[in-house]
Amino acid sequence: MFVLNPQSGVPIYRQILEQARRMVASGQLAPGVELPSVRELALKHAVNPMTISKAYSLLEAEGLLERNRGRPMTVASQARSASPLTKRIQQIQPLVEQTVLAAKQLELSETELVKSVRKNWENGND
Amino acid sequence: MIESAVQASHLSKSFGAKQVIDDLSFEVSPGDVIGVLGKNGAGKTTLLELMLGFTPPSGGGVQIFGHASVALPGDVKLRVGFVPQQDELLEQLSVADQLRVIASFYPRWDSGLIERLCREWGVDPKARIKNMSVGERQKLSILLAFGHKPDLLVLDEPVASLDPMARRQFLEQLVDASAGGDRAIIFSSHIVSDIERLANRIWILKGGRLDWQGDLDSLKEAIVRLHVRGDAAAISSLAVPGALSLRREGNFATAVVRDWTAERQRPLEGQGAVSVEVEALGLEEIFLELHR
Repeated sequence: MFVLNPQSGVPIYRQILEQARRMVASGQLAPGVELPSVRELALKHAVNPMTISKAYSLLEAEGLLERNRGRPMTVASQARSASPLTKRIQQIQPLVEQTVLAAKQLELSETELVKSVRKNWENGND
Repeated sequence: MIESAVQASHLSKSFGAKQVIDDLSFEVSPGDVIGVLGKNGAGKTTLLELMLGFTPPSGGGVQIFGHASVALPGDVKLRVGFVPQQDELLEQLSVADQLRVIASFYPRWDSGLIERLCREWGVDPKARIKNMSVGERQKLSILLAFGHKPDLLVLDEPVASLDPMARRQFLEQLVDASAGGDRAIIFSSHIVSDIERLANRIWILKGGRLDWQGDLDSLKEAIVRLHVRGDAAAISSLAVPGALSLRREGNFATAVVRDWTAERQRPLEGQGAVSVEVEALGLEEIFLELHR
């Protein structure tokens, strides 16, 4: 469910937060879907269980996940299956900023960048 | 109140005129997985041995589960597991006999766990220790420490001789051991990526002092590399308070800071920088930056 890279400068709990937020926002993770247990996820990725439970707790505090007695955590029912367009755009904003910055550093024009984005978009649809 | 596993105050150790551990104070709680990093000779082994009371401190002291580590009562000793850098196996014994000898000391010995791990890790109970490779001996030393389910597990370079597959199996076992949240694990290693996976807290030992002790997450959030772009004049007068390093090249500057917060971005931009890009660093990079 999550793609974790422990060697990244981004702490593991943040990687989980960001990926879960995106998947819930897009509806890939629908309300009621069960998440893997802390232990399961920790063993699968060979990472510290506390970092995973920290991410889960933060997601619970955000209202994205629900804790269920004796059962796995689930995507909260209030977490709308797809959040409004503006909110989803907001979420991708930091990545867009980074890309635009990199493009400017490379002295690419807007058209050239858009063209490259379009090409990637179409490849991703295969 | 949760009983702390280890509590050190003003711990010091010198050998002759050489101060190896210099006034360290720290606390380790159940649930902590602490990764100890340091260059060769930084004092990692001395620190671990000092902590466990194998050698008396020159100053200060350590308590393990509330008892002075240099005079641990027998029942507290049974709660501590240690994997030394140089194994202390008995050459003339077979694996099964060595396991039996150690098991006899510990009422909590989990023979089911050890049988399973021997199978999974490919440790042959019939093998003679004197015929085993360094890696196989290391696996056995680790098994001996896991077997009695210690509340405090200390490992000094436990994986130096293990192949990647064996290392992963060891890490999985460590995840399993820490998952209950009721034991404390402290391990030193030069394999930074292992520490990065398993540790939730990091100690960076440098010249006998803890250059960093705290959360791995906060460490990664605090030590970052900044890439600043601006006109040459702004760059040449750029000031980055508390920078570990600052390199200027024409329109660009790169700086590594150890106390980054998002609020620091705007003042930097206020100095005439066109853009400030924050690069998060992996633990290995951070370690190198702290030792430049």
